[in-house]
Amino acid sequence: MTDATMNQEERTALRDTVRRLFADQCTESDVRRIMESDSGHDPALWRSLAELGIAGLLVAAGTGGSQLSAVELKLVMEEAGAALAPVPLISTAMASVLLDGELAEALAAGRTIAAVALLGALDWTGGSNVRIEGGRAQGTARFVPDAGIADIFLLASDEGVHLVERASAGITPLPTFDRTRRMADVRFDGAATRIGDGAAARRARDIGLVALAGEQTGGARRIFDITVDYARERHQFGRAIGSFQAIKHMAADLLLEAESATSAARDAARQVAEGAVGKDAAVALAAFACADAFLRCAKDGIQMHGGIAFTWDHPAHLYLRRARSGVQLFGDSRVWRDRYVAALDAMQREMAA
Amino acid sequence: MTDADLQAEVEAWLAANWRGAPPREESFGRDPRAEWLAQVRDAGWAVPRWPRDWYGRELSAEQAKIVERAFAAAGAPGAGQDRSNLWANTALAHATDSFKRVIVPQLLAGEVGMCLLYSEPGAGSDLAAIRTRAEKVEGGWRVTGQKIWTSGAVIADYGMLIARTDWDVPKHRGISFFFLPMRQEGVEVRPLRQITDESHFNEVFITDAFVPDENLLGPLNGGWGVLQTALAYERSVMGDMARGARSGAAGAKGDHAMLELAREAGKLDDPVVRQDVAQVIAWRVLNKLNTQRAKAELAQGTSSSIMSLGKLAMSRILHEEGRLRTELLGPESLLEGPDHPRAEDANFLSLNAYFTSIGGGTDQIQRNIIGERVLGLPKEPEIDRTIPFREVRAG
Repeated sequence: MTDATMNQEERTALRDTVRRLFADQCTESDVRRIMESDSGHDPALWRSLAELGIAGLLVAAGTGGSQLSAVELKLVMEEAGAALAPVPLISTAMASVLLDGELAEALAAGRTIAAVALLGALDWTGGSNVRIEGGRAQGTARFVPDAGIADIFLLASDEGVHLVERASAGITPLPTFDRTRRMADVRFDGAATRIGDGAAARRARDIGLVALAGEQTGGARRIFDITVDYARERHQFGRAIGSFQAIKHMAADLLLEAESATSAARDAARQVAEGAVGKDAAVALAAFACADAFLRCAKDGIQMHGGIAFTWDHPAHLYLRRARSGVQLFGDSRVWRDRYVAALDAMQREMAA
Repeated sequence: MTDADLQAEVEAWLAANWRGAPPREESFGRDPRAEWLAQVRDAGWAVPRWPRDWYGRELSAEQAKIVERAFAAAGAPGAGQDRSNLWANTALAHATDSFKRVIVPQLLAGEVGMCLLYSEPGAGSDLAAIRTRAEKVEGGWRVTGQKIWTSGAVIADYGMLIARTDWDVPKHRGISFFFLPMRQEGVEVRPLRQITDESHFNEVFITDAFVPDENLLGPLNGGWGVLQTALAYERSVMGDMARGARSGAAGAKGDHAMLELAREAGKLDDPVVRQDVAQVIAWRVLNKLNTQRAKAELAQGTSSSIMSLGKLAMSRILHEEGRLRTELLGPESLLEGPDHPRAEDANFLSLNAYFTSIGGGTDQIQRNIIGERVLGLPKEPEIDRTIPFREVRAG
């Protein structure tokens, strides 16, 4: 895949465009409305994103895509994460790596939504038991994001990537704790077409991790900003609560987490875009650094607010739910810390050899 | 003058004059390269951004960089002191003309040793609470008090001193800034033994020491303002030094040192150790990525909030690395001495981590600074800010 990359000015323009779109069409009340819907998906917002070329961000220009790179994906995901956008951006980014031709074109146009089920060693849930034999997929994949709204399914493992039509998939929507990120268990029984190898599956997983890292960075930053704004305005004992060192010191620590997440996500995106030698380590680092930062900013953000953020009507818990669901998509921070050491170890051995 | 002309001039001058000099050993004392530095000063290369009347060439920042790069390429010291010489910059900005004429050329040539007389046993984080007094006498001031955390005091000719000159005004408004001559009766320097069993710092006991009128920097009782510019220079010098160190030897291998240690200890497959190793390395790598990003943002002209986070981040890194090194060693960490270098390292680094988490502003003060200056959170009310210092409770 040859990725066109943007210059700094174009990236800023892209970010501003996406930010404006979310400010306009993905307000907190929009998010809450979609949370209450059956699908948990905002088709109108998704259409707008497709029109802007965001659904086809990674899709080749020849098939109607924007043909951009992981760097721009991360940028868009920061905005989506800040807005809690209930649209299948991560699944679509992953599918973009796996599809070409008419399917890629349909993906970029927003006509087709693809859900990706990671299987085998790439499956972190441990609950999936899909077997692919003789051109047929059989068994269940657990916790598949966006499965409820998917038109096609991509089964990705170290052995390769297979495409299954929705007609061959039995979907059981799950009552997800994070209502902005829907999942389903999917029972497959039908034809599976091989469309890629194990390397493609791992590339898709890495793109998913970069997208998630961007989402978590944007979410961390937004809930942090909301919290610090409140600490400036909320008065108790005759002074702004942000003047108390008990609050101020928490804010300083969270800023370090948010900035570190920003750096980690950016580095992972760049290294994935360039296919750099350190990309496995960079992706692993971003996977736990961004997840941990978002979780901590969301958790401490509620604590720093006090009672107001314990109410359903306050947005803080929406961010905490998002932070908690992201951790479960590709493996939790324990897993990625372990893989980070493995990646660094492998790099050191390679350099020594 | 065009950039090319300037570059040609400085390169020709270096070719004609630079013959190599002994390496510098002590950062505070008299400089062994004084003769060379005097040559650099007199040629106008030491402080090219400064006014012509003061050894400068009134060059722009960009042109001064050309001079610094030419010196760096030749391996010659002495250029760029308009950024790096804390003492000379402070003197140029605030000293009386008569004192400047004496001290500035000596400072630029490294002919005088310098030290800082700021902190006191009772004024650490709260520096404006100093109780060292300077009392007016004929022709100058008599100084009495105790200073602490002074590097290079033994070989210093002057100390940059803050002392209280008015006790009947609030604490920030009764402080004056002096260049105190160190080689006199009444100035006693005692090495301070640190928890690491090293002695990098001294206590300085000052009893009726004399400082002439012309050694007062800035207005009488305006010392707090002078101190702020001196501290700003100090921070920028420290920042340059830290950046220089980071771009040097450490690199990826330094970042990943804990991996090596865990492997050597045979514990790299211990899942608990792996978690700790990953987290400690991650903090180091993230700090480096943050610093790179900050530099890029500064280069683009946007102000960066990340710079102020580096020291806080480093405190956590050093403390956690000390803890992890100790865990990897186990009972061997009970030992010390040259036969047990790994234990020496682990124990030294565990204790020396406080150098970063306390020195130059504790982590707690650093969090205040980040909260207030970066995030715009209001300050804590200070009950001693507006009352005469004489009435402030001490101890």
